[in-house]
Amino acid sequence: MKIKLPKIRSLKIRLPQFTLWTGWILGLAIFLTAGATAGVMVLWKGLSLTNLSDKVPWGLWITIDLSSIAVSAGAFSLCAVVYLLGLKRFEPVARTATFIGLIGYTMAVLTLLLDIGRPDRFWHSMIYWNEHSLLWEVTMCVTLYLGVLILEALPIFARFEWLRSHLPKLADNMSQAHRLAPYLAIAGLVLSMLHQSSLGALYGVLKARPLWYRPDISVLFIISAIAAGMALTVFASMVSARLTKHANVDNNLLDRVAHIIGWVLVVYLYFRFWDALAMTYTYEPGRTEGLQLLTGGVLSFNFWIGEILLGAVVPILLLLNKKTRSLPLWRMLAMILVVGGVVAYRWDTNLSGLLIYLSYLPGEPTMAYATYHPSLVEFLAGGGIVSYGLLAFSLGVRYLKVVDHNVVKVHEVEAKVIEAIPVPGD
Amino acid sequence: MSNKINRRDFIKLTFAGVAVLAVPKIMRQVQALETLTPNGRQWAMVIDQSKCTGCGYCTLACRAHNDIPPEISWNVVTKTGTVGAQDVYIARPCMQCAHAPCVDVCPVKASTYRPDGIVQMDYDRCIGCRYCEIACPYGARSFNWKQFDGPNSSVPQWGQPEVARRPRGVVEKCSFCYQRIDRGLALGFKPGIDEDATPACVVACPVGARQFGDLNDPESNVSKLLKGRTSYRLREDLGTSPHVYYLPATEEAHS
Repeated sequence: MKIKLPKIRSLKIRLPQFTLWTGWILGLAIFLTAGATAGVMVLWKGLSLTNLSDKVPWGLWITIDLSSIAVSAGAFSLCAVVYLLGLKRFEPVARTATFIGLIGYTMAVLTLLLDIGRPDRFWHSMIYWNEHSLLWEVTMCVTLYLGVLILEALPIFARFEWLRSHLPKLADNMSQAHRLAPYLAIAGLVLSMLHQSSLGALYGVLKARPLWYRPDISVLFIISAIAAGMALTVFASMVSARLTKHANVDNNLLDRVAHIIGWVLVVYLYFRFWDALAMTYTYEPGRTEGLQLLTGGVLSFNFWIGEILLGAVVPILLLLNKKTRSLPLWRMLAMILVVGGVVAYRWDTNLSGLLIYLSYLPGEPTMAYATYHPSLVEFLAGGGIVSYGLLAFSLGVRYLKVVDHNVVKVHEVEAKVIEAIPVPGD
Repeated sequence: MSNKINRRDFIKLTFAGVAVLAVPKIMRQVQALETLTPNGRQWAMVIDQSKCTGCGYCTLACRAHNDIPPEISWNVVTKTGTVGAQDVYIARPCMQCAHAPCVDVCPVKASTYRPDGIVQMDYDRCIGCRYCEIACPYGARSFNWKQFDGPNSSVPQWGQPEVARRPRGVVEKCSFCYQRIDRGLALGFKPGIDEDATPACVVACPVGARQFGDLNDPESNVSKLLKGRTSYRLREDLGTSPHVYYLPATEEAHS
């Protein structure tokens, strides 16, 4: 046998040049593959692969679920700012937030599908209504709002270069969805105000769990979600602008959003303070012990450092101080701290109520403690879902230009609709 | 949207619409709470702690008749202390609450009240979200983390399975053996009196510590027992109105 050398030369595969982009995509692909494998294993073998138990039936995945919905709150709040308050200059930021929202809600749906015991019956809540259940209400709102987000994101997808060149008519029709923007903003506001708070109320209505059984969680959930949602939007925009030429940001605009976030955090911390103080006033079985888990027990580092110091106090100082806020690096740090603080808050809220439970035995109430550490499968599947979110956003930045503050020109059709609705004081 | 309606009106109308839709719904639910007491039968269980020896036969019979996987128990027996020289136990089936938190929270109405007061699970509807598990103050609900496909160690010694095994991924709980009640009633038996119409745990109890019957019938054994003795229910402070009553173990009851 004779080997023909010239032929081998022609077979040589041209590897794409290794850039930051290919490295990033490759890294995400690895996590995605691991996550998908873990996900398939869970669907196949069941939830016994997790470290969840009858004592702690909700864990890491619920935290991802709650967090991805919370950090998606930028979509409804910024769309309301643009289309209902009429502050049109925030439109490009709202576009980014809408895209993040769409990703966040699909992440939440994916996580939920994995977390429920019978994913094949996910549609049951659409058919068998229990209007009394907050989880039903949340499911309905999330489903409807996902529809709203898809409609809101149609004009964003219409910017896809391939679509514009191959199916120009479709792309054109898709961008026409812009004219629905103000109505979608109202729908989004109503639906979000319902379910963002209901996610907290979901815990708050359970009288079996004294730590949760209070009305405040719903208020705290929606306020913290607004802060985190806007914060993630600002952070993702700024990081994209630093890393790729496909994204560009208007620093003054983001500075204003960051300022708003600072004040939202002040409101959040104020309510949080009263909520916590009210619970410390008197001994309440189960509640006091649950609070101790947060202030001095297994969750105390998360609570004091993650939630309060880094999640609220430091960002407030950084964001209300004009000097630090206007410096991009400090602003970015503040933004990611806010997001981290809210994720820590969701984790702590869930676990502080589950790790301790009141005994049903007669006589003086006694407490029992449970433990929970997520299993490898939970981490891998969770990591996969987060990587999906990061990948989707990265592709959006590159191919859909979701972070583009130069195109301030509001779409013509949309501008007409906005004019048709008189702004008070105009 | 015509020019006659401005944005402010539109938002007002939207909220007014939501309110108009929501208020009758809330009113109906408040009314439903007040009229929850059924007119027909109301099954209840009375567990006499002064008789209970903690033998656990109830749990074994339950496991056999309801084909329960080894990791789960619908009926948990716990030692709670001593009275005099006697150990005191408490058996905990599902409380079949009149105001059941699990029924409130289920997103798909897989947990419902039967007209006779039993809280029923629809295993074909449950999506396995486990919210009910978290909401139940009695820990009476268990999730099927695995498929139960091995042999049942309590069969045939403690009875034969009367219901289908639950699939992996749904929550399950004690049913007051309504399969026995329903079939027994159809055959003309009296639940609480005739063994074939009475929950398996009540039948299995060797010391007669468990009684079962209709609370709405003043002549039933449970009504009479509750009239004659001091009783209590678990976590009454929560207002769940359980249908499982306990007769406490006292010095007098033991002597």
